[in-house]
Amino acid sequence: MITTAFADAPYLDVADPAFSIRSQAVKDARSQSWFARTPYGIAVLRYDEVQKMLRHPKLRQGSHLWPQHNGVTTGKFATWWCNMLLCVEGDTHARLRRMANPAFSPKLIADLQPKFQVLANRLIDQFHARGSCDFIAEFTEPYATGVICDLLGLPFEKWRELADIAADMGLALGVTFKQDLPKIEAAIAKLFAYAEELVADRRASPSPDFIGLLVKAHADNPEQLSEQEMLDMIVLAIFGGIDTTRNQIGLAMDMFVQNPDQWALLGERPDLAKAAVEEVMRTRPTTTWVTRAATEDFEFQGLHIAEGTTLHLWGQAAATDPAAMDDAESFDITAARKPHFGFGGGAHHCLGHFIARGDMTAALALMAQRMKNPRFNGTVEWLPDSGNTGAVRMPIAFDPA
Amino acid sequence: MKVHVDMSICLLHGQCVIAAPEVFSFNAEGGLVWVADCNDGLRADVEAAADACPEQAIVIDG
Repeated sequence: MITTAFADAPYLDVADPAFSIRSQAVKDARSQSWFARTPYGIAVLRYDEVQKMLRHPKLRQGSHLWPQHNGVTTGKFATWWCNMLLCVEGDTHARLRRMANPAFSPKLIADLQPKFQVLANRLIDQFHARGSCDFIAEFTEPYATGVICDLLGLPFEKWRELADIAADMGLALGVTFKQDLPKIEAAIAKLFAYAEELVADRRASPSPDFIGLLVKAHADNPEQLSEQEMLDMIVLAIFGGIDTTRNQIGLAMDMFVQNPDQWALLGERPDLAKAAVEEVMRTRPTTTWVTRAATEDFEFQGLHIAEGTTLHLWGQAAATDPAAMDDAESFDITAARKPHFGFGGGAHHCLGHFIARGDMTAALALMAQRMKNPRFNGTVEWLPDSGNTGAVRMPIAFDPA
Repeated sequence: MKVHVDMSICLLHGQCVIAAPEVFSFNAEGGLVWVADCNDGLRADVEAAADACPEQAIVIDG
């Protein structure tokens, strides 16, 4: 076997706030080597390698060490984080995932689809005549949060409060985690209070909706899903569903502003909305990489990977790898593509993907019909173009139709 | 009950192995194997696996 020299691999400084995962440096590194060195560990850049490593038996999900890396070892957030679905493995993960699955079933989502359309139209109505909006503040944020309100059975009017709590809790994923801890702890306490209230409500009046199904799973099998685990799951659904969807729809708009012919086509053919969601997530995913950690020493394509090594699987780079598919770097909602990695993969494949796919499909189809020729109308403010990315502010103008 | 997995779209996430471990498993090479002819006692598990499959690659017949 040929031993790959670690030191010869390209180096990418992903900790630099100006670094972009879509830069020429990343493309050059990807054509030179299947992996790069980074300040965080190893970055896997190519399609085949990312696909294999997403479900490699000697890798585990790597986010469990995040609070500890930031010096946060106690409190509600750290306890929740380390015990929730994303951060557990093996039998515990399998048990919790089995209990959660019915509440995330595609059948349940089909019932929500008409509500997604009502919500999208209601939001578009508020700025439609004006022909302009801040796409994040006026559409993606209330939409992503409104979808969660629908899922939880909360009135839409609760969206602002929920969005603010999620934003405070999201500080835990940033570099100022430790200094923001009091705010984060207050936010997660509010989310648990919400979860407890929702559970009490479904106990009083059972219903076969998302919360109702989790309450039933706990009632039927308390040894398989404890009260605490049920509450942890509800908090995860709220937290995991808001930022991701808000960012992803903003990134969709970015792709279509850059590719106006594709938006026009979608407006004529709303049946392409489902494929459009996949093409956006292939080329411009909010989750640009997922994290894995080696549970023991192993060899992979000649590279020795030591136990404890952190690997980032760069789904965005991999799914636009020209070696994997034709015209990989172009944006074409009609092209047949290989599967992307925007929802991760393997045992930790995003639990909420049916909801996300459904709500984004509904939103894109309606917007392309009602908002023609969208263009930027001021300065767009972005999160760093790596890790979990997206726009913070996106002024757009469009032709009402 | 007949169980079929469309291997042209299966991405080996292993969600079916989690949902229905008595029916689906990975072999030593990491390939997916399953019980193609299942008794009805496993129906709930197989249906849960079909539902949970991110690629919707599992087809139940009968």
